[in-house]
Amino acid sequence: MFACVTSAALVGVEPRPVRVEAHVSGAESDRDRFNIVGLPDASIREARQRVQSAILSAGHRFPSRRVTVNLAPADLPKVGSAYDLPIALGVLAASGAVPSSVTRVVALGELALDGSVRAARGGLAAGIVAGRHGVPCIVAADGGTEAALSGADVRGVTSLAHAVAVGLGEDPGLASPTRPNPEQIPAGLDLAAVRGQAMARRAVEIAAAGGHHLLLVGPPGAGKTMLARALPGILPDLTTVEALEVAQAHAAAGRGPAVGSRPPFRSPHHSATPAAILGGGSGVPVPGELTLADRGVLFLDELAEFPTHLLDTLRQPVEEGRVHIARKGVSVAFPCRVQMVAATNPCPCGYRDDSRTPCVCTPRTVDRYRTRLSGPLLDRFDMRVMVPRVEAAELIGKGGEGSQSVRQRVTAARRLQEARGSLNRALGREALDALPWSRGADECLVEAMDRHALTGRGWDRVRRTARTIADLAAEEVASDAHVLEALGLRRVL
Amino acid sequence: MSRDDRLMFAFLALHPERARELVERHGSAAAVLRLARKGRIDAIDRERILDLDACRAAMDRAGCRAVMQGDPGYPAMLSDLGDPPDILFVRGEIPAEPAVAVVGTRRCTSYGRRLASSFGTAIARAGWPLVSGLARGIDGAAHRGTIEARGVGVAVLGCGSDVMYPPDHGDIHDALLATGGAVISEYPPGTRPNGWRFPPRNRIISGLSAAVVVVEAAITGGALVTASRAGEQGRVLFAVPGDVDRQASVGCNLLIRDGAIPILGADDLVEGLSLVLGPPPLSAGKAAGRPDGLGGRILEAAIPSATPDDIAERLGLPISEVLAAIARLELGGHVVVDGGLVEVRVGQGVSE
Repeated sequence: MFACVTSAALVGVEPRPVRVEAHVSGAESDRDRFNIVGLPDASIREARQRVQSAILSAGHRFPSRRVTVNLAPADLPKVGSAYDLPIALGVLAASGAVPSSVTRVVALGELALDGSVRAARGGLAAGIVAGRHGVPCIVAADGGTEAALSGADVRGVTSLAHAVAVGLGEDPGLASPTRPNPEQIPAGLDLAAVRGQAMARRAVEIAAAGGHHLLLVGPPGAGKTMLARALPGILPDLTTVEALEVAQAHAAAGRGPAVGSRPPFRSPHHSATPAAILGGGSGVPVPGELTLADRGVLFLDELAEFPTHLLDTLRQPVEEGRVHIARKGVSVAFPCRVQMVAATNPCPCGYRDDSRTPCVCTPRTVDRYRTRLSGPLLDRFDMRVMVPRVEAAELIGKGGEGSQSVRQRVTAARRLQEARGSLNRALGREALDALPWSRGADECLVEAMDRHALTGRGWDRVRRTARTIADLAAEEVASDAHVLEALGLRRVL
Repeated sequence: MSRDDRLMFAFLALHPERARELVERHGSAAAVLRLARKGRIDAIDRERILDLDACRAAMDRAGCRAVMQGDPGYPAMLSDLGDPPDILFVRGEIPAEPAVAVVGTRRCTSYGRRLASSFGTAIARAGWPLVSGLARGIDGAAHRGTIEARGVGVAVLGCGSDVMYPPDHGDIHDALLATGGAVISEYPPGTRPNGWRFPPRNRIISGLSAAVVVVEAAITGGALVTASRAGEQGRVLFAVPGDVDRQASVGCNLLIRDGAIPILGADDLVEGLSLVLGPPPLSAGKAAGRPDGLGGRILEAAIPSATPDDIAERLGLPISEVLAAIARLELGGHVVVDGGLVEVRVGQGVSE
């Protein structure tokens, strides 16, 4: 007898259906033969014990004949305990213990020996596959939230017996909240907490409005990290589609769905490995911090402490919005449409150019420190802003404008960009050329180029920033004032 | 000698010394011409003398004119030479202002090429004409730097001024003429680039210039020839120091040891040149005008230095406006922004 239950796996961040085929055959003498084929890893082979016990606990007999389970497509590596539930349903249907209509679902979950169902990785993928196939999605009741993000018909179950009942339509299953509770998401830092720093605040606002990459340079304690952490708070909410993409990336990394409608903010430590940042790992590649920050902010604190080769490998993915990872047999492209924000001290001791504390670095150590930040990487920041020390008088003074009102301006500027079809960060040279520029704007650009204040790449970056500044002012034509401000916010380190 | 005679000898002067020799031996140019017509002169010289018309046609084609010693258009500075060229074939206009020569080896390094180009730009920005030899390497880079800054440049060739040599510098040729500069040679149009013609033209390069800058020079080669001629002519010599064990820098380092002024960068060069040539014609006018309006207020608020945040607070202006105004002041050369501080440049302060 044969039965087939659909489940799901993630390839990169892309959900793919996995067919769990079960076949029961042979004579009684073939007892104890239970095989799983189709590139299962060790955790899936262990499913044999869990599935056998769970079927017994659910009050059924485990077939005393040869049982073969195939996970198709066979060339797709499969990991984890998530296929326990579809395997058990398949075996029950194939042995005739339950009607075969139980297999018209997408199922995913880990089985306990007592037959209860536990949440497993891949709930979102299962939900998306179920949505595409137009069938109900059966997952563990406590892991239903992730699957529900997909918008599919998700039915939570508590045990294998419960799953059979839901599969046969005898029980509606347990509903799951369709969205995670917004209160659970850390709101980040409010911009009002940042004292002084008018120029840096302005830079953060422009960066948020155009999605620009931003480098903050200044002495320790100037507030660089605070400014960066306040950035996500002034970004507009994610759209439903974007939120689902973000959830997918997090699910692929096995981090649960707690993302909601706010853009992610990832701040990997400078000691993180390339695989942790770019993605990778052995076997099936897992997304790294870069992909977890997709549609959000990747914050690199103490930029100069990151290994140079790692920063250089970041350049191309950040530019392209995709990171390609090849591992044995699998090659995936993870999305990474991130806004890169970095903070660094101007020198190893941190006090170069500081008004009070003298710098104790030798010119050589300063040089060595700066060569770590390769020119091509620095060139990729649309804005490079000095963040000076804040005077005591400003610290006790009133805080600046709060995140909420800044976010309104940012959202308005974003709307103008949506109407044009592209975030300003992503505007290509031709798109920039096609936008309206005042004569004065062109003249300023040429003059800056002549004075060697701009490289070829910088030319486009300044125009992108200038466009955002014009958008914030709701001006259709970008003028010389906008270009000049953009130039002023792109300082040479 | 009549004008025609001199022109004739200029053409004959594929080797100028040969022309002088003939005049000395036969008494006058007219006598040489007479003897040539009678066939009593060496065949090679005779052919050239009698081919005068064809040579004139070549000049017309190239838009080239002959300027002779004593003519009003003849550069006065060339009279400092012990052996000034009798005649110059000029395309374009030789600028009247004192010029700066930038020369160096053809086999330059990227260091030399980069510096030569930045010097070319800096000299053009300051408003001085640049003279060089249009050769590969340093010469070409210096010319390109000038052209980029839309400055005036003069190329002195070792072949006819209508001959594109080296061929890949044709664009420089055209650009020099288009931006009001000149391509000149003491050899008539059509003269091929023979190696022996190049060292003598170096005396014209230094002769036309009040100062000579050697960017990179090996121990042998034309750049050092130019430098030694410049010394004889009383020109001020600048040289770019380099690694002591690098072929392309040995010549320059030697010059510095022997008294040439070392150059520490484009700004340093302009500063040094203003001591020799007087204040730069262009930037002098520019720096005189102090900005008024918002720019002026920001300058006053920033003295001697301040962060943009401070300036915005002192003036009670939005930071975006202040940032744009600072960038404008920076482009105008009124302030320098370094390490987050806006520093007002000397001479830009409040008038007291």
